[in-house]
Amino acid sequence: MVVPDLSFDGWAEKFASLPDELMAQHYYYRAQQARLGRVEPWSYYMFPPQTFALYGAKHLKRLSFDSSLAALRMWGFVQNETERLYRARQLGMKVVATMGDLGAVPVLVNAFPGCVPFYPDCTWWTPFVQESKVLFDAATRLGIGDATCYSRAALGAFAKHSYFPDPDLVVASTGASCDDYSGVEQLAAGIAAETLWVESPWRKGCATCGTGFAVEPGTREFLSAEYRRVVERLGRLTGHKPTDADLLAAIRKTNLVRSKTGRLRDYGYVQAALPALEMMVVEFGCLHYYADIDEWTNILDDLLRTCEQRVRNGERVAAEDALRVVWITPPADPLFLCHFEKRGARIVGTEYVINQALVPIAERGRPLDALAGSFLQASLIGSSRERADLAVTQARERGAEGAVISGILGGSHCAMESHLIAGRVKEALGLPVLQFDVPEPAREVNQQLGTRIDAFLEVLAGRRSQTGQTSRTRRTSPTGIP
Amino acid sequence: MTHLPVDELRQRRLAELADLRRQGPKVIGWFYPGAPVELVRAAGATPVRLARGGYAAETRGLRWLRADACPFVLSTLGNFELDPLFRLVDAVLTVNTCDTMRRAGEAIAHEFDLPVFELYLPRTSEPLPHRVAEFERQLGRLADELAAFTSQTVTEERLRAEMAREAHTRGLVTELDALRGEDKPQVSETDVLDMLALAGLLEPEELDRTYRTYGPDRADAQAKPRLLLAGSIIAEQDRWLVEAIEERADIVADSFVPADTEAPAAATALESLAAYHFRRIPDITRRPNGRTVELLARRARERRAQAVLYKTLLYCDPWNFEVPRIRAALGLPLLHLDGNYSDENRGQVQTRVEAFLESLEK
Repeated sequence: MVVPDLSFDGWAEKFASLPDELMAQHYYYRAQQARLGRVEPWSYYMFPPQTFALYGAKHLKRLSFDSSLAALRMWGFVQNETERLYRARQLGMKVVATMGDLGAVPVLVNAFPGCVPFYPDCTWWTPFVQESKVLFDAATRLGIGDATCYSRAALGAFAKHSYFPDPDLVVASTGASCDDYSGVEQLAAGIAAETLWVESPWRKGCATCGTGFAVEPGTREFLSAEYRRVVERLGRLTGHKPTDADLLAAIRKTNLVRSKTGRLRDYGYVQAALPALEMMVVEFGCLHYYADIDEWTNILDDLLRTCEQRVRNGERVAAEDALRVVWITPPADPLFLCHFEKRGARIVGTEYVINQALVPIAERGRPLDALAGSFLQASLIGSSRERADLAVTQARERGAEGAVISGILGGSHCAMESHLIAGRVKEALGLPVLQFDVPEPAREVNQQLGTRIDAFLEVLAGRRSQTGQTSRTRRTSPTGIP
Repeated sequence: MTHLPVDELRQRRLAELADLRRQGPKVIGWFYPGAPVELVRAAGATPVRLARGGYAAETRGLRWLRADACPFVLSTLGNFELDPLFRLVDAVLTVNTCDTMRRAGEAIAHEFDLPVFELYLPRTSEPLPHRVAEFERQLGRLADELAAFTSQTVTEERLRAEMAREAHTRGLVTELDALRGEDKPQVSETDVLDMLALAGLLEPEELDRTYRTYGPDRADAQAKPRLLLAGSIIAEQDRWLVEAIEERADIVADSFVPADTEAPAAATALESLAAYHFRRIPDITRRPNGRTVELLARRARERRAQAVLYKTLLYCDPWNFEVPRIRAALGLPLLHLDGNYSDENRGQVQTRVEAFLESLEK
């Protein structure tokens, strides 16, 4: 049975029926407030969608949502993040902007009590969610104009001083990373109070090795030395000197998030128990846990319970015969994920440039070495071939019928690797590949792109009818969830 | 003005390289400053710089990369089919000068089945001991890979000798560059770019002979508006702009001439080489890049530049993003020209340059 999705209005109606007691159960910064012996009403986050739309998230009106309470809880939490960061400051916490590495440095920040990490990088979604070019315009005034990756919105947000609190510290990772965001970091450093630069090494000469990449000896130790600098600087910021046990505890917390996310990826991409839009939000939760790792972990548990129940009940969010595609590079405009599903496709795998945030971190050995080892599995620090193979593996396992590469005009890695990745997918699996650039913020998928998407899906449907296949998705996922 | 016979020397060198290859030694192409050609030579190979550009090659590059890739990288790929020098190389050496160059090696290897040596230079510029040590390790790895390719081990003695030769070459370039500091500059940007092009093509001794033979001799120089030229790489086929500017202005400084020529003393040649290339400026792509911005400001001040001509390639993020910052740091009028290798808009560009120069004369 297919679970119907929920529109913006449907969400509002559903919200109206929720008891106040339920909403009072969900609040953030639980540990910090427990120490203060109270729960502040401002920390509730299950707001009606109109609240977010009123504060600018107009795009919510165009999206389709999963109808579960767990998903709505998640949306409330995610949309509430800006306020949460300001509340962190209000609670006396140190707000640390981590930039560029997408997943590693927040693990260290969480080892320091009273510190909260966030990625300004994630403001690249803001212009789309708000259907506004205000942040792009602000970036343009500072030197980063059109035809550049949408991550330039982060620079606009730094300049505006209102999308997140001015960070106590910026930890900017650069190196084997895209030129666009490296440039954003350089200019943001001119605005921020203090920037600590961290090297992201180039993973060279590695052959694909099982589910991970082999790493050249010495590289891990080099990166570990970079992380030691981060720990030292955070120590000066907070007056706290974490032990290896503290760092290990932070790693374990992170691993919990990553393992729950892994299970949800199986539910979402293998069993179709969650839609692609919610799954993207889940995956990106591995970056900085939307600025509260404990509450995010609770939300993941809630989502897992929903998925378990759906699977038990034989419920899915997409038809059994939906066309199966893998998606490479996250779409800046989330509407595209909904659009694909509405046109009869479903996402069975992703390579959203955050492999480093999804892999488990070793819990043995020296913690910084372990963190470095996990970061060296990053999507963008190696070759395009390696990155393509992350998608190829999922496509093969899950019987994908096509691949989608969404890019950004002017994004350095998109320009250089899109054709190589497409070629690799075609060579390895013989699948049709659709490449397109996500256009600037808009209310709907433009007609030209809509036509291309339809044509692509028609090709997939045609190929399926030729082969007579419908559902090749493996029934057993890699993690063994039935 | 010098009278460097660049085209003649290039033709002669092409023939020499073809002969050389027949005899066995390998020819290795490189692209951006920062490639340690000393190591290539110490491994018994001949380095040649591949920095031709050109619109036909850029268009050809669209077969393999998207149109929003850097025009230099697009043209580089295209030139592997079009340019005789590119077709002479046995392998290429890439450095992760920027992300597009980091990825260029993979594209070259994939499309042209050429061996590619990829050198990783940390992009963070603070010379912390563990970073310089990591770079030294990467240079050591490159030395081993080159030695395996050429069957010639890189010895300490040989590397030191090649470093001295390369330092001499850089010294010639900076010597020529320094002459632009005079009130009536005796050399032009065209001269400096010719010298840089030849430095990437000829053996150091041949370059020295050429420089001594054809060096600066302009006695009738006239004072014109003084400019600093900064921005993306100026490829050899993209020189029309420089020549057009120099009809009406003197380019007295640029962002292409290295700040330092000599590698610092160190216990081993590799350590010294690592220290030199790690700290090499100008390099706008390293983070933080304040030293490069300061260097440009200092050059502008010392050479009494009156304005900045800022030439970028389309989608060259590292230079494009820095326009406001460099404008502020130098405190001079700045004309930003952004484009690819197409010659369709040359007239428009020339008009903008002329209008800019006229505004300086007022």
